Amino acid sequence: MIDYSKLESGQRLSSERLILDANAVANYTIAVGDASKPAAADGTPLAPPMAIAALALSAVINALQIPGGAIHAGQELDFGEAVPVGAALHCTATLAQNSVRRNWRFLVVTTEVAANDGKVVMAGKSSIMLPA
Amino acid sequence: MRQGDPLPTIEKKITQAQVERYAAAAGDFNPIHLDADFATGANFGGSTLDGTIAHGMMILAYISEMLTVAFGEDWLSSGKLKVRFRAPVYPGETIATYGNVKKIDVSNGVSQLVCAVGVRKQNGDAVIGGDAVVSVAYNR
Repeated sequence: MIDYSKLESGQRLSSERLILDANAVANYTIAVGDASKPAAADGTPLAPPMAIAALALSAVINALQIPGGAIHAGQELDFGEAVPVGAALHCTATLAQNSVRRNWRFLVVTTEVAANDGKVVMAGKSSIMLPA
Repeated sequence: MRQGDPLPTIEKKITQAQVERYAAAAGDFNPIHLDADFATGANFGGSTLDGTIAHGMMILAYISEMLTVAFGEDWLSSGKLKVRFRAPVYPGETIATYGNVKKIDVSNGVSQLVCAVGVRKQNGDAVIGGDAVVSVAYNR
């Protein structure tokens, strides 16, 4: 059980390798009913960018052991490069803010997802409210 | 695209089965999405829920789908999105994305389009609101 009051801004929450394989992308695409089927000019299937964002948020949820009743209040995303299906990625999550207001704890978490060559393919900032 | 142009609307009816599928695909098993007993009456930032709700990221995916349809790989390689989740979406509700080009900045062979984007319910209630930015090369 995490004592959220002890988490400090700037604290690294997680650092993990993620594989966005065809099965994961297919499951995601079916779940959201995404019909856009993004592909590169040469026909290489590309991952829907929100599938990457969902993977990154999943890492945050696991690292913080987000409790039931938490609310996702806001989201920022910055996509830096299209990601082919099957790509290996590295995701890091860092706590940017931890505060309490009116019986809610507000956590702001930044995430960065990089490709094997180190290029950042997605950066995100998630605002999450937990019952305090 | 020109200033004021609308983006293509994506309309979806949300189902509980789809929410459960999304939970598994995204690894987000918060019971406010999956357990009606837990969700009903749960505090949602000042209001109380009437039952399970869809994941905000699932609804946000429809905005990204709209932007992928509008801008293709340019969205995947240069898109920026900043939104607030304003209201919950319940299974059984139908939602629709909206978007329009607010501003275009042209520089060094690239147009940077700033778009107002969001999601509304059929009754007009705002679910998500914010801005998206995408860079598009002239020759596209």
